[in-house]
Order: sequence, then structure tokens, then C-alpha cells
Amino acid sequence: MEQELKICHLYPDVLNLYGDGGNILCMKRRLLWRGVGAEVTKLPIGASGSLAPYDLVFIGGGQDFEQQVLLEDLHRGRDREIRAAIEDGVVFLTICGGYQMMGHWYETYDGKRCDFIGAIDLTTVGGKKRMIGNYKFACTPSAGGSTVVGFENHSGRTYLGAGLEPLGKVLAGFGNNGEDGTEGAHYKNLFGTYSHGPMLPKNPAFCDMLLAAALERKYGRCELAPLDDAAEQAAHDEISARI
Amino acid sequence: MNFKAILAILVCRMLRGVSRLLHRGGTAMPGRWALKLCPDLLARLAKDVRTVAITGTNGKTTSARIVEQAFTEAGRGVLANRSGANLLDGITTEFVMNSTLSGRPRRRWAVIECDEAAAVKVFPQLRPEAVVVTNLFRDQLDRYGEVTHTLENIRTAVSSVPGATLCVNADCSLCSSLALTLPNRIVYFGLEQGAVPSRAKSEISDAPHCIRCKAEYEYDYISYGHLGGFRCPACGYRRHAADYAVTDVIEQRPDGSSIALSIRGERRLAEINLPALYNVYNAVGALAAAMETGVGADEAIRALGAFKCGFGRMEQFRLGSVGAKMMLVKNPAGCNQVLDFLENVKDRFVLVICLNDRAADGTDVSWIWDAEFERLHSIAGHIEKVIVSGDRAQDMRVRIKYAGIPDEAIAVERDYETLVGKLEGQERDVYFMPTYTAMLELREVMIRHCGGADFWE
Repeated sequence: MEQELKICHLYPDVLNLYGDGGNILCMKRRLLWRGVGAEVTKLPIGASGSLAPYDLVFIGGGQDFEQQVLLEDLHRGRDREIRAAIEDGVVFLTICGGYQMMGHWYETYDGKRCDFIGAIDLTTVGGKKRMIGNYKFACTPSAGGSTVVGFENHSGRTYLGAGLEPLGKVLAGFGNNGEDGTEGAHYKNLFGTYSHGPMLPKNPAFCDMLLAAALERKYGRCELAPLDDAAEQAAHDEISARI
Repeated sequence: MNFKAILAILVCRMLRGVSRLLHRGGTAMPGRWALKLCPDLLARLAKDVRTVAITGTNGKTTSARIVEQAFTEAGRGVLANRSGANLLDGITTEFVMNSTLSGRPRRRWAVIECDEAAAVKVFPQLRPEAVVVTNLFRDQLDRYGEVTHTLENIRTAVSSVPGATLCVNADCSLCSSLALTLPNRIVYFGLEQGAVPSRAKSEISDAPHCIRCKAEYEYDYISYGHLGGFRCPACGYRRHAADYAVTDVIEQRPDGSSIALSIRGERRLAEINLPALYNVYNAVGALAAAMETGVGADEAIRALGAFKCGFGRMEQFRLGSVGAKMMLVKNPAGCNQVLDFLENVKDRFVLVICLNDRAADGTDVSWIWDAEFERLHSIAGHIEKVIVSGDRAQDMRVRIKYAGIPDEAIAVERDYETLVGKLEGQERDVYFMPTYTAMLELREVMIRHCGGADFWE
């Protein structure tokens, strides 16, 4: 194979809440269908491998129960590594807990503060009300401009710093905080979203945007051959029509 | 009984009668109104009934049917919520229908399956004599939240009935942890090492870290999911030896399993008349509950081979000239067990997957990406055709496509009437994997085509 992407699934052992693996599977298949190689490496908690070899890093959402284990590992040096990779233009897809983790901190509803890695300028505050349901948002032009349908399930309300661009504008549902109409965040090649679990399979345009960004960074050019997305598009349209 | 209670009983019976006339199930609504009139109605009606309550993520209905059969074998008149209405209102309806107008019970024994979240409200009124916790898996995140949250719900519920014997799955590190804090008498059931070949550690475990100290568990063996011989290398929390243990799964067939048991050290053989490994767990858990409430070993073992489950749990239908099996799926763990079962089917078959996302199914369909549908790829030679259906048929189609089945080999058919009509005319056995509300609808159509009982009977 001429081209190949190295994909890292970071913390698959704890950040794997509900179908997150579907995103990895989706990226891998869509590369292989086009004759581009894909090598997926899982880096669980305590793994020693560095992030340096990877073109694309995926971080999913997790359960509160395991958060403590995760924070300890992050602050053993993984946080510095993630920040460096983001600055270096590595493509990151971060979801839910993984997305919140990219920010400065998370403050629980009863005022306890958890320090995160501060890779991007956002903070999250725990709310009383859970924001649950199917939702959709329109990505900004710089994030490809596609419409994304997904499912959100979070009580954290995320607020972006003044200089940070959102990933998109909420069309239906809550998004970052249910107040300002923003959804997710986009910085360099880092994409953060509340669209939990398997967001990529039903949003093939968004998936291809990520793959193209990673290929471009690695090979300086990228022409993704079109695929037959009849099934993906049908799934996208089916839920989009309902919300 | 005071006036309020009698009025509530009257209203409940009337509403139930009306909903039956209208051919509605009428399982929950009458109880809801009765409870408005008399909030402690269930406590009053359950006072003189000796009850086994069954909760946990998967296997509640099947376990309840086995305990019910064991009670019947032992000559006990038994009340059960067979329709699957397992919240406070539905359970109250069942008890009202079991009582005279003055509130005296007609049958003295009850087997009640209870929703994990509802247990907190149900147990203090129901006051069961024994509680079975079948297992805990990730399930319907939008409804229950995290699995540890469900565990704490059950802990709270059981703590309201300290006199009840608690039968827990020894192989489930989450369930077993109930024993760490509860004062109840604990009885363990499970599969012993070597009963089945150990599985490789699965990529996605619902409980990888110690519930007590958060270190990663080590396993002597895994029977499926996170169930098995777990132990924590850091704090020493580990699987407790099972009082009711399956020592060997001798044979697994499409219609059932043969097992060897050790019942408090005594060796016995048993036949289970439902297939798949998860039903071996259901069997031994139910056996424990039946025997702990006084059923003899012979009656309890006979029940394992005699009970009828139906209602979408490996339920068998005759469709034209072929067999059809309805295999309810609700979450990744249960779904993987059904896929396990399909891997062992010898003849070519048609697979129908019906995915709904209504409240009772869970509105979030993400879970289908945690279930190992990739296994279908390895048995593709045995699959005549995959048909997807239900409100989220297209999501299922995409999932199957990414599992490695070409999109051309997947058909979408939304209308159950058309679907069943087509299946009637072909020559391969059919396996249905519906989610809960899809199962209810599909079952109605199947019953019309095949003949059978309505769900509330």
C-alpha cells in the first residue's frame, strides 16, 4: 500500500462508553476501502508508548467511576505529550469525557474541581440537568461544513474561551452548554464534540474530513476517492428527519 | 384493609377489566391509579405473600419463569408478573389481581421480576424473602446511567429488606460487591473454572477495574463479558466460591444444555430447556432462589427442564415450513451471547435484526457498536440473508456493513406484516434479534401468522 495512517485509540480501557469503538472501525474501513493502509494501536492506562508515531488520535467518553485512575495517568506526562501532538497538527477526535479533558478543568455540581490538561481554552461545569437525546449541528466551514447527527448525553456544560472556535452551530439539541448555540471545539487539527459513541459511521463526510486532514499533513496532498455511502446517508437522513 | 385500600383495589380491577375489553395489555396503568389512591397498597397486599424478587441487567424474565416452575413443581400456588411489567405500578396491578376485594391473597407465593431502578421503590413494599441479582452489565445509559449507579440502586433497595436472602452471581464482580456492605444472608451462584472453555479477555469489559480500589482485575477464567474468576491484585477482593455451582456444561444444543451442578457440595445433573450460556447462569441463579425458599433439589432440577419462557426469549415459532426463533436483545452483553449462539447454528439461516429506539429500548442506539457483530462475518457462509428492520433499521444496516457484510447482502424491510409474509414462503430457518418494543410488535404479527397466546396471558 502506498499510503498508510497510524491511528491511536487512547485509553480504550476506560474511555469506551457506548460504542466509541465504532469510530475507529469506521475510519479504518473507510481507509481500507480506498486502498489506504490503517494501523490501529490501543494505548491503555499505564501504557508506555509515546504518541509521536501517530497521525490520528481518538479519545472517547468514560464513566465517572474510572476518572480518578485516568487523571493519575494523564498527569504522569501523557498531558504534555498530548499538548505537543496537538500543536504539531496531529489530527485528534475527542468525544464527551475525552473532549472535556482537553480543557482546563471540570467543576462538579458541588464545587469540586478536577484539573485537566489545558490543551485548548475551555472549561466545563457540572450541571444538575442531563442533556440527553438525538441532536444535530452544522460544522463551521473550516471544519468541513457538513451537518452532523448524533446522540448527546452529558451533564457537563462546556464554555469556550474567546479565541477558541466551536466545531459547529447547534441545529437541534443542546451542544456545549444548551445556552450559546455552540457545539464542540476546533483548534488546529483537534476536533472535540459531545456527539458520543459512534458518531462517524452516520456522518461519512465528517469522517472523511478527518481522514483527509491526516493524510494531507502526512503526505502533503490528499485525494479521497468517493465511496458508495448509500447506507450511511440513509442512516444519517433517517434520524435527521426526526430531530 | 382500610377504605382507601379497598377503593384502590376496586378501581384497579375496574381499569384492568376495561383495558382487557379494549384489548390493551393493561398491566401498568391500573396499578398506577391504585397507588395514587393508596400509596402503600403493594405493602398491604404483599404482606402475606412469600416472594422471590429477581433483578439485574439480563435474564430477569427467564430466571423468574424457572423459579415459578420450581414453585409449581413443589405444589405452590404462585403469582408472577409474566407480562414483564416490572415497575412499581405493574407489580401492584399483579398483586391486586391476586387478591380478594378485602385484600386477602389468593396465592401465597409470588415470583416477581423487578426493574433495577424501580427496585428502590418496590422492595420496601414487596418485602421479598429472597432476592436474585442475575448480573450487571452496561445497559441503556440514557435511562439507568452508569452501571455503578445501577449497582448502588440495587444496594439501596436490598438494604431496605435486611431479612431477605440475597442470591448473587459470584462471577460478576459488580453483583458480588453487594456482599461487602449488606447485612443480608448471602448465597452465591456461578460457573466454576473449567465448566466452559475460558474466553479471551474481551476488548470491552463493563467492569475492568476493582469496585473497591480501582486496580485492574486479573482473571483465572472468563465465562463471558466480565463474568468469571476475577481477583483484584491490589486489595484482594475476589470471586467468592459458589454455593450453587455449575461444574460442567456437558453439552450445548440449539434447544438446550446439559449441565453438572454442585449444590452445596452435592453433585447433580440437570437439563435446561433453553439454549445458550447465559441461560445456564439464569438456571443456576433460579435454582438457588427456589431451594433457598424451601423447594427440594429434585423439584428445582425438574423445573430447569420443564419451564416455559416464551415471550421473545429464545421463543420458538413455526412459520410456514420453517422454524423461527425470537431472541430478544437489549444491550451488548446479551447481544454477544445471542451471537455466540448463532455461531453454533449448523444449518443456513435468515437473520432478521429489528432495532427500535423507544423509551423501553433505550433511546440511544450507540450500543450496537459495542456488540460484536463482526462475528457475523466469520459465519457469513451460514447466513442466507440479513434483513434489518425497526425504527432505526438504517443504523443497523450501517453497523452490519461495517461488520464486514456487503451492503448488497443486507435488505431493509420495515413492515412486519410484509416481512413475516415473505419469510413464511421461504425455506430457511429464521432467527429474529429484536429489541424490546420491536419484539412486542413483531410477536403480535408472528402470533397472527402462527397462532399462540397474547402476552398478558
